[in-house]
Amino acid sequence: MNKFDLNIDKSEVLRYLGYKYQLIDENLSKMIDKGIKEIKELSRPRYIIDYFEISKENAIIKLEGDLLYLEGKDIYKHLINSSKVVLLAATLGIEVDRRISYYQKTDLTYSLILDACATQAIEEVCNILENDIRSKLKKENKGLTYRFSPGYGDLSIDIQSRFINILDATKKIGLTATSDNILIPRKSVTAIMGVVESNISNEKIGCIGCSKYNDCNFRRVGEGCGH
Amino acid sequence: MIVISGEWVKAVDIREYMKENIVVFDGAMGTMLQRKGLKSGVLPEVLNIEDKDTIIDIHRLYIKAGAKVITTNTFGANRLKLFDCKYTLEEIIKAAISNAKQAIEGKEIYVALDIGPLGQLLEPMGTLKFEEAYSYFKEVVDLGVKYGADLILIETMTDLGEARAAVLAAKENSNLPVFCTMSFEQNGRTFSGCDAVSMTLTLQGLGVDALGINCSLGPQEVKPIVEEILRYSKVPVMVQPNAGLPKVINGETVYNISKNVFCQSLVELCNKGVGIVGGCCGTDETFIEKLSKEVCNIKPIKREIKRVSAVCSYSKTVLIDGVRVVGERINPTGKKLLKEALRNKNLDYILKEAINQIEAGADILDINVGLLEIDEKNVMVNVIKEIQAISNIPLQIDSTNKDVVEVALRFYNGKAILNSVNGEDKVLETLLPLVKKYGAAVIGLTLDERGIPSSAEERIKIAEKIINRAKEYGIDKEDIFIDCLTLTVSTSQEQTLETLKAIKYIREKYGVNTVLGVSNISFGLPRRDLINRTFLAMALTSGLTLPIINPLDKDIMDTINSFKVLNGEDLNANNYIKTYINAIDSNKTPNKVLEGDNSKYDLHEIIIKGLKDEAQNATKELLKNKQEYEVINDYIVPALDWVGNKFEKGEIFLPQLIQSAETVKKSFEVIKSKLLECGKGSELKGKIVLATVKGDIHDIGKNIVKAILENYGYEVIDLGKDVPKEKVLEAVLKHDVKLVGLSALMTTTVKSMEETIAYIRQKREDCVFFVGGAVLNKDYAKMINADFYAKDAMEAVSIAKKVLG
Repeated sequence: MNKFDLNIDKSEVLRYLGYKYQLIDENLSKMIDKGIKEIKELSRPRYIIDYFEISKENAIIKLEGDLLYLEGKDIYKHLINSSKVVLLAATLGIEVDRRISYYQKTDLTYSLILDACATQAIEEVCNILENDIRSKLKKENKGLTYRFSPGYGDLSIDIQSRFINILDATKKIGLTATSDNILIPRKSVTAIMGVVESNISNEKIGCIGCSKYNDCNFRRVGEGCGH
Repeated sequence: MIVISGEWVKAVDIREYMKENIVVFDGAMGTMLQRKGLKSGVLPEVLNIEDKDTIIDIHRLYIKAGAKVITTNTFGANRLKLFDCKYTLEEIIKAAISNAKQAIEGKEIYVALDIGPLGQLLEPMGTLKFEEAYSYFKEVVDLGVKYGADLILIETMTDLGEARAAVLAAKENSNLPVFCTMSFEQNGRTFSGCDAVSMTLTLQGLGVDALGINCSLGPQEVKPIVEEILRYSKVPVMVQPNAGLPKVINGETVYNISKNVFCQSLVELCNKGVGIVGGCCGTDETFIEKLSKEVCNIKPIKREIKRVSAVCSYSKTVLIDGVRVVGERINPTGKKLLKEALRNKNLDYILKEAINQIEAGADILDINVGLLEIDEKNVMVNVIKEIQAISNIPLQIDSTNKDVVEVALRFYNGKAILNSVNGEDKVLETLLPLVKKYGAAVIGLTLDERGIPSSAEERIKIAEKIINRAKEYGIDKEDIFIDCLTLTVSTSQEQTLETLKAIKYIREKYGVNTVLGVSNISFGLPRRDLINRTFLAMALTSGLTLPIINPLDKDIMDTINSFKVLNGEDLNANNYIKTYINAIDSNKTPNKVLEGDNSKYDLHEIIIKGLKDEAQNATKELLKNKQEYEVINDYIVPALDWVGNKFEKGEIFLPQLIQSAETVKKSFEVIKSKLLECGKGSELKGKIVLATVKGDIHDIGKNIVKAILENYGYEVIDLGKDVPKEKVLEAVLKHDVKLVGLSALMTTTVKSMEETIAYIRQKREDCVFFVGGAVLNKDYAKMINADFYAKDAMEAVSIAKKVLG
């Protein structure tokens, strides 16, 4: 899995930290560089990708063999043009969590920075994987919708455990969910992407179309989540 | 086979069979099921009932291939994984064992009850409690016993804590043989970081009948890991690898080696001492057939086992084959601040003590939380849990209270040291069984009901008694460390040489490691440091291997580092040179001005710039001429206001705010300890309870709010994350708190926030709540009946000012 030569874009890290072009002194800047370096060393990106046929019945999306039901109008819209989906699970591994916990006790500022670096790292891992899938599908004249995770919009986060079981992700990459559906290791992602014909436009929903419009943390500070 | 009360039982216990034969387990169940068309994601355990013929067929194929043990189709059969299954756990396990027995048809084949991971991670990395995990495993074990499994196989574990819970459940609730294997990656570690040696030490300590590795890698890749296990394991070693490394071809997972290569590699491992073999993912009956043919002529090899003194955590082993430093600072005796921290459950303070010692070079930490007025049992478990959440340093449990010892050894993830037993019969009878059960190492003090003997000879006698008694309980010599006890030289001068004499004798005669608390020696004398380090050097020369000391004492650490060069332990003085080479450099240039010299700033500027390291000295300087309140009012408060104001205007951003907050905290630490010294309590503005609500573990935001509130002089009672509402209420009532801050990051856990507020209001109508977290806003806060919504930490401060003044 050496394809994860992560960059950990500093400007994205700053965005997670709520940065809005304030003056940054050298100390802080160095601290962020150190965080980026440390997360690169600590991360052990692992992932699973699997393809499933889907069918739609009464506005519910079903994975083949009734493995999983996806309910909600947002996911329905997301997969409206798809008859096949990609399930993705990816994680940076538990050492990242341990180090962030460590610094929470010794250096709160740095732990905050490390957390932001790790968030960016798992995003980059997912971007790399998504691009891989995308370019593979392109050869078949197919496209891909963006990554839609359990808990987005009105798709219940309760499917998390089932999702993990379907991919056998605990055994294969060490990914677990708590009984409240929080992924552990913390810097992990599960997501659903729809396979579409390449002529179908694949636009991001943007803020207006998002059902979290009213309570989005990014939007509150004048940003977007990138979707 | 013989018949006892109408049941067929095996003529030979597998533990006996293992002595004479290499045991062949079956291959993969999942691979066979996929071959038979099972789709991924379907619960395979259901097939025990819905398609039992297929399962029986698979078992039969393996038996025909020569497997001596078949594994029930119960890998995921536990209450957590079967949460949405239409059958009960009992129905599944009953059917699974019955299927295996049907396949056996009276042959001399063993049925292993298969137990896999629960699918949730244990505390501290996850939220599942150790005892919860234990009870899930217990349920499976009970059913396995009820329906007649011959042995228990715990496998594919990646978290040592979970493996421990499963093994304890198996050992405490059955008499069946227990085998346990974990899965490793190519770097020699499991997903949760466990290494082969730590696994080996811990599991064999718990008394498993076999241990080893399964899944994850092919037989060639596991070789170095297995070899390491073979070096240390006192019990038979088991290997069930995959058929090589997985590759996805056309959406199908395939494995990259043939049965020939597979068998050849396993035969090699058997020749090195592996006693139990089988297959995992990608293997089928053809692999097992070949394997059983190849190994049936091999007899189990008598291995040369490295008998080492060692302790470990979940991911780190410390071999005690030389001098190892035990940090003594987590012990309330004579420490005002630590006592206060223990009483207030201020775990952060204790963690800092831990971290400081680790960074100063401690190899092991002694943990003593014995204070009359606290619940020692509870605090001990919490301290262990918190330290293990942030560090993998092995711990030494310092208590003689049986209940505390039992719960600490049970909870500790790894192989601990118990400090201590002594020569008293009653103590030995009470504590040694616990040491044995949990596989710990133990310190034996050379004293008994008559007190500390005055001669070396008497101490040696007691040491001998402890070693012999431990042996009766099955505790090996390498797990016993003898403490010959330091007496104060100013009052018992003749005793010093007796102590050293005893160390020397015991070390030479019994070859056990020796422990000594060192600093006691100098009590009552001036320049204690001189006596301490000289005595330490003498003791080390006499054969002391585990000095219990303060690693922050540079003199002491210097003595140890140089001793290790002189006694040949630090080969080529590598570590010594690494440690001191820079010290030489800085001696050469004593006048060099450090880049970015910050000593010119005053405290106000230091806070604004967030120069944490400067805060303590600057505060100390100021306190020479000023009162504590003057420093607070003239320096800290204006700086805080300045920073807070800038943050609210968006002129600085979050990390900068926190940096200043942490700087203020450092400054307050100095002020607080000065106040304590003068017997004055610190004046706090009011108490606030903070918690991340049940179900949520996103606590960075809460920690930020805590740091800022503390800056402004509020006493924060931090209940941590995933906090049940009952706990919040308990704290509110106990500390008589009027203001409560709750955080939650997820839509789903806001519900838990609402419940917490309602629950507490029932008992304390006047309690005021402020809430925060990503998904909240003003309207949402109102909806769940919170009084305030705090969009950030600064707003939490203005809420606190409003409510508490």
